[in-house]
Amino acid sequence: MTPLMEFHSVSKEYRNGERIFYALKDASFSIDAGEMVVILGPSGAGKSTLLNLLGGMDSASDGSILFEGNDLTNYTDNQLTQYRARNVGVVFQFYNLIPTLTAYENVALMKDLEEIGLFGNKRNEVIDEERMKPAEALAAVGLAEHMHQFPSQLSGGEQQRTSIARAIAKNPKLLLCDEPTGALDTETGREVLCLLQRMSREKKCTVIMVTHNSIFSDIADKVIRVKNGGIKEIIINDHPKDADEVGW
Amino acid sequence: MLKRKVWRDLRQNLTQFMAIFLMSLLGMWIYGGMDAESTGASRVAARFYEEYNLADLWVMGGAFSDEEARTIEKIPGVISAERRMMVTGELDISSGDDEVQTSEVKKPSMQIGFLTDYQMNRFEIMEGEDFTPETEGVWIDRFVAKKHHLKIGDTVYFKIDGITITSILKGVIRTPEMVYYADSTDITAEYGDHGYAFLAADSYPSVEPLAYNQIVVDTKNGSVEEQDAMKESIALALDRDNIVVSDRSQTIAYNTFQSEMAQHKSMGALFSGVFLLIAVLGIVTTMTRLTSNQRIQIGTLKALGFSKKVITRHYVSYGFLLSLAGSTAGMYIGAMTLPRIIYPAFEGGYELPALKGQLSLGPYVAVLISVALSTMVSYLSCRKELADPPAVTLKPAAPKKIKHSAFEKSKAWLSMSFSSQWNVRDILRNKARSIMGIIGVSGCTMLMICAFGCSDSTYSLIDWMYGGLMTSEYKITLSDKADYGTAVDYANQYKGQLLQESSIEIFAEDIRKTGSLTVLDAGNYMHYKNASLKKIQLTETGVALSYKMAQNLGIGQGDFIKWHIVGEDEWETTRVVQIYRDPMTPGITMTRAVFEGLNHKFAPTSILTNMEVDNGLTENKSIQAILNIAQMKADFAKNMEGMNMMITMMVMAAVILGIVVLYNLGVLSFVEKTREIATLKVLGFQTRKVRTILQTQNIWISIMGILVGLPLGYGLLILMCTTMSDNMDLVPIVGFPSYLISMGGTFLVSVGVNFLLSGKVKTIDMVDALKGVE
Repeated sequence: MTPLMEFHSVSKEYRNGERIFYALKDASFSIDAGEMVVILGPSGAGKSTLLNLLGGMDSASDGSILFEGNDLTNYTDNQLTQYRARNVGVVFQFYNLIPTLTAYENVALMKDLEEIGLFGNKRNEVIDEERMKPAEALAAVGLAEHMHQFPSQLSGGEQQRTSIARAIAKNPKLLLCDEPTGALDTETGREVLCLLQRMSREKKCTVIMVTHNSIFSDIADKVIRVKNGGIKEIIINDHPKDADEVGW
Repeated sequence: MLKRKVWRDLRQNLTQFMAIFLMSLLGMWIYGGMDAESTGASRVAARFYEEYNLADLWVMGGAFSDEEARTIEKIPGVISAERRMMVTGELDISSGDDEVQTSEVKKPSMQIGFLTDYQMNRFEIMEGEDFTPETEGVWIDRFVAKKHHLKIGDTVYFKIDGITITSILKGVIRTPEMVYYADSTDITAEYGDHGYAFLAADSYPSVEPLAYNQIVVDTKNGSVEEQDAMKESIALALDRDNIVVSDRSQTIAYNTFQSEMAQHKSMGALFSGVFLLIAVLGIVTTMTRLTSNQRIQIGTLKALGFSKKVITRHYVSYGFLLSLAGSTAGMYIGAMTLPRIIYPAFEGGYELPALKGQLSLGPYVAVLISVALSTMVSYLSCRKELADPPAVTLKPAAPKKIKHSAFEKSKAWLSMSFSSQWNVRDILRNKARSIMGIIGVSGCTMLMICAFGCSDSTYSLIDWMYGGLMTSEYKITLSDKADYGTAVDYANQYKGQLLQESSIEIFAEDIRKTGSLTVLDAGNYMHYKNASLKKIQLTETGVALSYKMAQNLGIGQGDFIKWHIVGEDEWETTRVVQIYRDPMTPGITMTRAVFEGLNHKFAPTSILTNMEVDNGLTENKSIQAILNIAQMKADFAKNMEGMNMMITMMVMAAVILGIVVLYNLGVLSFVEKTREIATLKVLGFQTRKVRTILQTQNIWISIMGILVGLPLGYGLLILMCTTMSDNMDLVPIVGFPSYLISMGGTFLVSVGVNFLLSGKVKTIDMVDALKGVE
């Protein structure tokens, strides 16, 4: 079985005049479908760059990134957008909800990804018929009660759960989480983590989590440790713990 | 859901978006309104012309024979030609009705036409029966009939050159030929004091054949070139030197109306231009701010898989929706309101059937342009945030590089107070906002200067005409019956200056214009100024050409003109030795000596005098009218309603412009500075002190805006004065009080807005404002 995602000698460089700075250098790894992956490393190690490349939010300077065998590095902007819309769900550290939309509306926003032409024709086939209804997604994250509140009326944990509901509503193949518990207290963080693990196990969704917190490595199937823009080691965890078991 | 976001964002930034909406609305309100008003009136007039068959050409000159009319009819394209005699006379109200106190009521001067046929220039019968060339009786315009209580069947007396004509009133009328008519001696149309009447040619009590001085011609509609060709053919076919062939645009009635309509349209366009510019500027600042505030949101949308197209469409829709709603609403509201405001003032000026506002294509196109422009500007404003990949847009923008300006290195900088330094930096670092503020304030000043300048210029025109150019207190107009000897006798009796005023036709290269000839006898009642408004004496060596006529003809001092007096055969070719300015009568002026040097006989038509002249003098058949200059000036001032309304409108527009722009900017900068203000408060600055800092900046911006607005207003005034009309030489003048009022008014608006805004400082909650961003 081919892996869902493969990185082959991927580099990302930034130029500042004559100086070249590598945010990521020569990274190679693969991720299988349904895996729960944790990318672990200190600040500035290149975690976010990895996540951006995985999500098609940035383009690599070198190497190739294969998603189901297709090379993302050859994609145009439009193709990358389609890739994101179809396959990727993102959960941000600071939730990034649209403040002027309610929780429900933030999730329902995903419906707008379908571009309908003037004559009712679909301009793209972004979303499968299997995608979740907003209310379902919110119920799945335990927010059925508060779904008509605005983000500012929700707690941090609730906001993050809304953000997860938004990400899973489109039934993505890849759920990317950028420090999903970074702005949350321990207990709420654990709840969010449980939720993500459940999503991974129940929906067979590939979850990739970026964090600097090594405790997370216990719950992952695979841990990719990054340091100074390079892959330091890849650990396969045959018996990942349940999220509610891990000590904080 | 993105649509919901649009509405919620609009609500959250209500002030800014409201400003954009209002500016679009105001712009199209004025344009749509002025357009509906002028288009509606023009269409009513066009229908009126069509329905009552306004003549296409007027052939004027000596006594025309019936053969000549038939000759014209044979020219291809001519439908018919009618001879008629047009004369001026007087309605003699004393002869019939003894109850009327004759000495107190001015006898209306009348244009009286004797018609041979009735194909063209037909009458709209307001009362009575229709005209035929066979019916005996007289048809009179409704204003004279009303003012002098004439009823159908009344006996009416006219005096024409001392001859009295008696007739029965058969109809009260209006006609497309007399949409506008003013007495040659009046500045504005005073309907009822002068009017017109038509009779059948047979009604003229004369044994001699009538001297038909006009042939009116109906042609198949053609282009301007075809019409010009036809004019040539007529002149050629008649083979006489002393005729003038005019088309509609050369007649006073048609031209006055048409050019006023064009003027309204262009004024409307000018004003809406100013407002639309402000609207666009508003969109730039608001959208730039909105998109940079929502940078992270844009990044999120991108990360979630929204295409650039969808996000662009989302942000562009703000500008699109606002300008579409604003300008469409403005157009319709304008079309509904302005005609209703303007038409009543029209009714004293033009004699037309009931007017109804109607939009032309122009405003619709303007709406499209305004929407397109606003949409494009919105697009440009958000393009920056959309260019980068989502990974970049998700992070907060890198702070702007701040350099110390050259000014900050100078010594003056160090001696400035903290608040001044803070304000200078703030202005320099928010250039777009500052510039927009200056533009808004200057627009406000500009409109005010222009408004008051219009009034100043018009009043000064009257002062110049009567008091500057002509210094006599009375003007006695002689009738055709007065011979040279009589004129000289009167001149001696009243120690007056004799004047000949005639209509002429002037040629310069290809351009042909009609104007007036003024010949001055000895005396000191006429004082001329040259193009740069310096006093000049008329030379004894050549003719002087009026400034406006020189402009219309496209010639200058030293060039040659070819002219002849209407009704006479001799053409003169003379060099223009002087250019003089005359506010109301474009044409040529010369001394009697020069005129006689050209082998013309001096035939005085009026006398200027400072001695008091009794009104009873008009009983004399040599005297046509007596003008009391002081009275005329007073009448004119009363007649300024139209002008006052325009000024009110412009000042209102200026104030709204000022308030909207300044308030919008104030809120904008206030929102941006909330954190800074909170910090200052935390540091212990008192609310009052913070308020002063903010106000100082607004005052600086206002002063700069006012300074920029002064010359702009003057420029706008020059533009308006020069495009006003072909005949009026309006010198743009802004009096000192007008400058003061405009500056003070703008400043007052600025202070008022400041007052509204400064209350907001108190509302800032330090703790809240200093919490995390977003």
